[in-house]
Amino acid sequence: MNALKSEWLKLVSVRTTWALLGSMILIEGLTAGLVTDLSKVSDLRHRDIATLAIGTHLAIVFMFTLGALLSTNEFRHGTANSTFVVTPKRERVIAAKLVVGLAVGIVGALLYIAVNAGLGLSILSSRGVPVDSNEAVNTYIGVGVGLVLGCLFGVALGALLRNQILTVVIGMVLFLLAGTAALFIGNSVGKYFPGESLLALNGTPGAAKTLLTQTNGGLVLAAYCVVVGILGTLLTRQREIT
Amino acid sequence: MAEITVERLVKRYGETLAVDDLSFTVDAGRVTGFLGPNGSGKSTTMRALLGLVRPTSGSALIMGRPFHELSNPVKSVGAALDAHDVHPGRSGRGHLRTIAAAAGLPSSRVDEVLDMVELTPARDRRVKGYSMGMRQRLALGAALLGDPKILMLDEPANGLDPQGMRWLRDILVALAGEGRAVLISSHVLSEVEQTVDSVVVIGAGRLVMQGPLADLVKGDRRPILVRSPRADELRELLEDDGASVASDGRPDAMVAHGTSLERIGTLAADNGIPIFELTHERATLEDRFLELTGESGNVR
Repeated sequence: MNALKSEWLKLVSVRTTWALLGSMILIEGLTAGLVTDLSKVSDLRHRDIATLAIGTHLAIVFMFTLGALLSTNEFRHGTANSTFVVTPKRERVIAAKLVVGLAVGIVGALLYIAVNAGLGLSILSSRGVPVDSNEAVNTYIGVGVGLVLGCLFGVALGALLRNQILTVVIGMVLFLLAGTAALFIGNSVGKYFPGESLLALNGTPGAAKTLLTQTNGGLVLAAYCVVVGILGTLLTRQREIT
Repeated sequence: MAEITVERLVKRYGETLAVDDLSFTVDAGRVTGFLGPNGSGKSTTMRALLGLVRPTSGSALIMGRPFHELSNPVKSVGAALDAHDVHPGRSGRGHLRTIAAAAGLPSSRVDEVLDMVELTPARDRRVKGYSMGMRQRLALGAALLGDPKILMLDEPANGLDPQGMRWLRDILVALAGEGRAVLISSHVLSEVEQTVDSVVVIGAGRLVMQGPLADLVKGDRRPILVRSPRADELRELLEDDGASVASDGRPDAMVAHGTSLERIGTLAADNGIPIFELTHERATLEDRFLELTGESGNVR
């Protein structure tokens, strides 16, 4: 519990946390508002509930980075020294970071859903575009789970790599570039990348032709978190803090 | 039993031998200076004591145990390894609260410690706006949170102004006076000579000497500056006594080698020659270190 409280304090005592969450809300609000307001009604009807998942690839940038900072700040700013002197059982520190990552991931996901639903759904409704409520709930659950897992993946990859810039760059490549590039050149392995798993989680109808199913997308993304998290924890235990 | 026991410690990083068969002890109730040139293995030894790096061989023990076996590390050892080890966007109080929380200490203890290190007025300011002296105080505050029996501070005087140095000296002497073992590292002898009771001197990862500070000064061959209105007379006397004397550029001053403060004082008194100034010229630990080891080129 001590490590958990300490990690929570580390998260909330720096402005970067609030700046990242605020930026995510702002960008998601702008994206959802502009797309639903400016698109042609025929396009919106055609896109169906995909509109509700619009901006997940922007939101993931912030949520992944937030998770990555939880781990990498320790090494970027040298606080790993005092952290591991006060809590020599290092796996407790990583576990606490993952729990805090889960918590802030849930907060981020709820904020995303609140902004998207508050703005996007009301604009769609005012423009007479019908939205199936069951499908909407399904999409929001998928998007929410994706953002939470994205944040956890940031914590895990940060623990594994330690270097802040490297972690964020690799995360962005994995979420925004690698899978899309692989699919683009016709390699179906691309659908197993974190970015395409996130897209699959949105549950967009018809997307399963090229992507994994919604459930499998979630499982693959969760598997990344588990495997990288275990590797990161083992390495953190073994590593020398110099 | 000594509070800190380093025994035949070896730490190798790849090809580099950072610590080479080092043994020493640190006792409670005194300030021990851990001295050596930059890169001589001081920080690595401290990190081995704190369980941050694993010894290649030998042992680094706190109260007879490896760090990870201590039942309550925070109450046993307080450490400050680098004053820069703090998130610049966090307030001083926020920084200490994260450590106190991890150690299971109440936030009231944070405020007590902030008072002790005289940072209360700046406690809510972000650390990025702190001076080096304030960061050193904050680092010391973090080390003091658990009211530990042992304090281990790596270069705590680094970047301190004269006022800060005096403050540090007073607080460290007081903490040792309460029965704590205080180990402070430095590469500048003059920084710590007024603070430490005993010294552990290392060079190139090896022990050069351990003992009371007086032992380090004993046999001191630093040049001696002498000022006297009868400088020429005194110079003759010193040269007859076997010292070599060089001019200082001023008519009433000279620099003597191969003698001692006591010898010069006695000679002057015996001959009724007034002395205006009689002092060792300041030397860095590196000078003294090279003198002690007789080595000149292998300080890493």
